[in-house]
Amino acid sequence: MRAQGTAFLSVLTGLALWEVVGRYMVKNKLFLATPLQAIEKIGETILSGELAHHSWVSIQEFMIGFVVACIAGIAIGLFMARSERTANALNPWVSGIYATPVIAVAPLFILWFGIGIWSKVAVVISLVVFPVIINTEVGIRSADKQLIEMVRAFGATQTQVFWKVSLPAATPFILAGIRLGVGRGLIGVVVGELFGSRAGLGFMIVQAAEVFDMPLLFAGIIVLAAAGILLTAAFRSLERRLVPWHYQ
Amino acid sequence: MTTAPKLSVRGLHKSFGTLNVLQDIDLEIAEGEFVCLVGPSGCGKTTFLRIIGGLESADRGGIEIGGHPVKGPGADRGFVFQADSLLPWRRVFENAFIGLEINGRASDQERSVTRRLLDLVGLSGFERYYPRQLSGGMRQRVNLARALAVNPEVLLMDEPFSGLDAQTREIMQTELLRIWAEGRKTVLFITHQIDEAVYLADRVIVFGRRPGRIQDVVPIDLPRPRDLSVKRDPRFVPLVDRIWKRIEFDVRESVRLGEE
Repeated sequence: MRAQGTAFLSVLTGLALWEVVGRYMVKNKLFLATPLQAIEKIGETILSGELAHHSWVSIQEFMIGFVVACIAGIAIGLFMARSERTANALNPWVSGIYATPVIAVAPLFILWFGIGIWSKVAVVISLVVFPVIINTEVGIRSADKQLIEMVRAFGATQTQVFWKVSLPAATPFILAGIRLGVGRGLIGVVVGELFGSRAGLGFMIVQAAEVFDMPLLFAGIIVLAAAGILLTAAFRSLERRLVPWHYQ
Repeated sequence: MTTAPKLSVRGLHKSFGTLNVLQDIDLEIAEGEFVCLVGPSGCGKTTFLRIIGGLESADRGGIEIGGHPVKGPGADRGFVFQADSLLPWRRVFENAFIGLEINGRASDQERSVTRRLLDLVGLSGFERYYPRQLSGGMRQRVNLARALAVNPEVLLMDEPFSGLDAQTREIMQTELLRIWAEGRKTVLFITHQIDEAVYLADRVIVFGRRPGRIQDVVPIDLPRPRDLSVKRDPRFVPLVDRIWKRIEFDVRESVRLGEE
């Protein structure tokens, strides 16, 4: 409770400082908008329906890409954990691409898939899938050999070993990989939209920047930050539900 | 003994490469008998138990349990592991129940048997705890209940108390005898601690090393039930001495070679 209080106080102080700096110290309104101005703008865009329109596009891009990346990532990771050969073949690609700032090739995706939502879906997939693959594989491989031996001693089949030991042992790793994917996926949506789009929160931010509408620009950023915080928090509570043995 | 042995091992042989780990082991254990196997480290006693458990295969020789040849692991043996090997994501009850679940025996009747066993090992009220919430001694109690739950013909125990502190260990030894007295399972218990073997067993098998082989068989005729004061009984010490003299040379060798 005390830790949360401190965090809340810290955020409040930061916002207050920002408000003071924006209001009294930055003379040029084109350089910075204050939090209150941004919040006011959020209210306006909600009323005009603009925010809902852009958010809905971004949400679709994010959700489709995220779900596809999680399913594909878990499947590929399981496959790699199952076969040493597959792992050896795919490992240089997976770790190589994971370490590369894939976001740099986002313009290429726009070129290939157009400026509709699918190019952004592709960007999200390319960013989210790798941490999920890597964590799934590591998670399955990290299952304690003694636990596998224990169920084998009771006569467990390969399938039973997978469902009763390997998969539960990997679950915290897989969830951590997916949680990493949340932040990466949000970045993917926005940056993808910056490079080419007709709608979306990233698009709204670019438009705002082009006409120096600072309150709108910061409104977009605040909405994105809030989405990131909420998604991560929701995910943590999901983790607590799915892997309670880690927390109790 | 007129009845057929519960566990019978004949001409068992195992080597890893050029190293003879087990050489011509013959052993019979009667129904309801508690047999301890002691030996210095590196004498192959754990390998021997793993072969009986079906976790490793022998090069030569056969094993029969209740007259049936052993091929691979199975629920006719209950394995109690040195490390407790509890699944951290399962609560105590589900951990104790896993052997039955694996063998497709997850019935309500077995559930109540498992609950009774948890009660017997002193864990009633802890069914819904996660392993990490338990002490080392309690975790070993779950380990034992899990092995008993499948109602095996033979209980195979691989130094289950070696990770516990000295006091907990003594308590667990008396607890094991109390639990054993309830069902009189056939037990093969491995340890490197001689006084533990003498305290628990009807018969102590002494293993030598390089190659692992039976060096001596010592019947323990101390009366049951035994409490810890048996360890100060005048008949207790000579038994420990006899076993120690048998393995002293091997233990010194293994210490000298830095294997301990």
